[in-house]
Amino acid sequence: MSGRLSSESGPSLIGGSGDLVEARSSRSLPVLLIPIGVVGAALALVPLWIGDSRVLMGVAVLGLAFACYAIGFNVIFGSTGQLFLCVGALAGIGGYGAAILADRVGLPITVSILVATLTATFTGGLLSFVAVRRSLGVIFTGIVTLIFTLSFDALLLGLSGLTGGDTGRLIDSGADTFLRDQIAPYYLMLALVLIFLLIHGLLQRSHIGWAFRALRDNEVAAELAGVDVARYRVYGALIGAAMLGLAGSTYAFTEGRLSPTTYGFGQVDVVVLVMLAFGGIGTLFGPIAGAVTFTIVDEILIEFGQLRQVAYGILIIVLFLRLPRGVIPTVASLWRRVRGRCLGFQVFR
Amino acid sequence: MLEVTGFSAGYQGNDVVHEVAFHVDPGEAVMIIGSNGAGKTTLFRAMCGLLSPSSGQVLFEGDHITGLPAERIARLGMRFVSAERHLFPRMTVQENLLLGAYPGRPDPETMSVVLDLFPRLAERRRQHVGTMSGGEQQMLAVGRALMSKPRLLVLDEPSTGLAPLLAQATYEALGVLRQRGLTVLVAEQQVPLAMAFCDRGYVLENGFIRLEGTSEELAENPGIRSAYLGVGDGAMLDG
Amino acid sequence: MANILDGLVLGLQFGLLATGLTLVYGLGGVLNLAYGQMAVTSAMMVTLAMDAGVPALPAAGIGLLGGGLLGLFLDQTILRPVYRLHDEPRVLLSLLLTLGVSFIVDGFLIWRYPLKALTLHIAGGAVEILGVPMRRGSLVASAITLITFAGLFVFLQRTTLGRAVRSVIEDEEGARLVGIYPDRMLRLILVLSGVLAALVAITRSMVTPVNTTSGLSITVFALIVTVVGGLGSVAGALLAGMILGIVSVVAADFIGSYISLIILLVAAAVTILIRPAGLLGVKE
Repeated sequence: MSGRLSSESGPSLIGGSGDLVEARSSRSLPVLLIPIGVVGAALALVPLWIGDSRVLMGVAVLGLAFACYAIGFNVIFGSTGQLFLCVGALAGIGGYGAAILADRVGLPITVSILVATLTATFTGGLLSFVAVRRSLGVIFTGIVTLIFTLSFDALLLGLSGLTGGDTGRLIDSGADTFLRDQIAPYYLMLALVLIFLLIHGLLQRSHIGWAFRALRDNEVAAELAGVDVARYRVYGALIGAAMLGLAGSTYAFTEGRLSPTTYGFGQVDVVVLVMLAFGGIGTLFGPIAGAVTFTIVDEILIEFGQLRQVAYGILIIVLFLRLPRGVIPTVASLWRRVRGRCLGFQVFR
Repeated sequence: MLEVTGFSAGYQGNDVVHEVAFHVDPGEAVMIIGSNGAGKTTLFRAMCGLLSPSSGQVLFEGDHITGLPAERIARLGMRFVSAERHLFPRMTVQENLLLGAYPGRPDPETMSVVLDLFPRLAERRRQHVGTMSGGEQQMLAVGRALMSKPRLLVLDEPSTGLAPLLAQATYEALGVLRQRGLTVLVAEQQVPLAMAFCDRGYVLENGFIRLEGTSEELAENPGIRSAYLGVGDGAMLDG
Repeated sequence: MANILDGLVLGLQFGLLATGLTLVYGLGGVLNLAYGQMAVTSAMMVTLAMDAGVPALPAAGIGLLGGGLLGLFLDQTILRPVYRLHDEPRVLLSLLLTLGVSFIVDGFLIWRYPLKALTLHIAGGAVEILGVPMRRGSLVASAITLITFAGLFVFLQRTTLGRAVRSVIEDEEGARLVGIYPDRMLRLILVLSGVLAALVAITRSMVTPVNTTSGLSITVFALIVTVVGGLGSVAGALLAGMILGIVSVVAADFIGSYISLIILLVAAAVTILIRPAGLLGVKE
């Protein structure tokens, strides 16, 4: 609908490349900062409502963590089309890595976070490099990264001395800092979200972003146009993995305890997929819309216990079947068409 | 037997073949000649159900088969031997031939006719297709199509990648089958071969049928002589 | 030695399990991530039937029938939109939709029958094989699996229908050109995969209980063996199953069960990286 060149074999799942954003890519920085600022301001007001409930604030912080994860995955999958089913695992390298470095090795928290993030970044880049080198298609990339996730999970359970195994471990480091407060961690995670949004936004406007769009739409054409597909794929993975590692490690310290379910496939990857499918894969604010919506939905569904899984299953099916471009982009384009017709002329893109 | 009218087909909304019309009568051997990229393969694929046509009509023995899927058309008595052959690489010659008779039961008489026609195949009955040469594979592709006793055999460039002797042998085998009542429609780049074998022909250029006539008429056309037979002073083909 | 034999028993089951998954992928380009849940659901049908008083053998029959019906159900409902796509988008969509199905089934089963498990007790003492006492359950399970494999090989190699199935795996367009309907073949194979999943669950329950939470791990193991054996190859599934079964048991015994799992996972990853076609798969 935007008249873009799209390859026939490209999955219809990756549709919106942020049409709203694309149209403005030639405009200046403030146009990016304003929406981010608005989102930031809106989210900053949340503690005014729920600030006195420790439980709800915890949920909110987790929601922001998921927003970060979703942005990271958006960069990897939405921007470069690599199906990385190891979102939780990469975040987990950040979380468990930082926790072990801080508690066991005694490194300061910021250093631990830095090292853990770098490890996650390197791992993500390595996975991408290998996938690209061996020309693994989307499916095999998905399978290999899924294998990585499962191996990471087995490792967590196996090295129980270090990781606390199935029950997990408490994190002593940072217990007496602002990280465990009720409100402060929220703003810390919010800062991360806004920074990630800014990075992604800038990326979309840069030549890297152009390369991303080119290689995602039609790999062969991109190569011919001089885009080193392999290199840009790895770049995308590095950036996304860095986001995941940073978010995972920061979140760990605010939470104070970890277990395999904090970063499990069913708890993180699936949820992020749903969030992004809802919000719009490849769009800038899709992750935010998805994270906010599903944090709320999840809270509502919490009384249903195990049946929540059923709800997620249905959601995955419905979202990927009916609205491959995401709820938000579909609604947005519908709105534009209605508005255009009302105003008596067609809005062309 | 086969009547194609106003037929257009292509990929992703762009037609490669435009408003093509031709016909094949029972017992005839008809050729569609044209250079690379003329649209012969697209035409045949769309006609035989591997591709959806954008417009037009195909009648086979009076029945509309336009747009039907390949697997249905294959059961109606019209068999297509595509340029890529599409044999089953890890199955034996024997198994490939047996499958040619699907869904009916393989007829031992037909099998022996095919093996008589292509003695090389009989020698390699238990050999896996993947290990055979191009010429042998081509023979097998034709043989497999014949197992169902089709009334019309459609071949897309059967001489591709074959040594001249083998190509000749293939056409000779087709000649034998013609005498037994088989109707043939063949697309060819190697025009002399096709001309020697066929009664009539059409010239396809850039997706349009430019010329038609008997083999003799076409052979005398100066445009064809220079474009496809390498004779004369390069006069352009009009039509 | 005991490990090798145990490994073989496990390996046979791995192989039969993977056969269902690999045939569906090889023939139809559909990756069924709800496979483990199909097995578990069938097992639950058997155990519920037995609870209701149905004797073991007919109950197992119900399970097999149920498995087949589940396969048919998938074909007729969830997979319909998948069939409109081809190649990579098809695999991707099938992966996502069946993942959704697996969540629905898992969520429901674990909620409704959290503690339920299928256990088939084979009466009789241990039997000695090559100096190692083997439980009768293991032996019966292995025998059934072997017979099933034999039946599969005969079907695929000697019957017209079986040959038609193989031909679609070999070259779908070629199969269409000889009048074979790929979607009918896929439907057949989906039903078959359901029956196989049920059969593996039933025979497995003769060795160790199969409970409602096993779904995911069954799918994972099936996927690993499928990848190593080669997509679309039954012989590959059997071979890979045997090798990985033995490796799994030996590694678990000498090093630990988590490491054993990691070894299998790494084996699958290495296969994808070095030889994506798998041991006996079709090289593109």
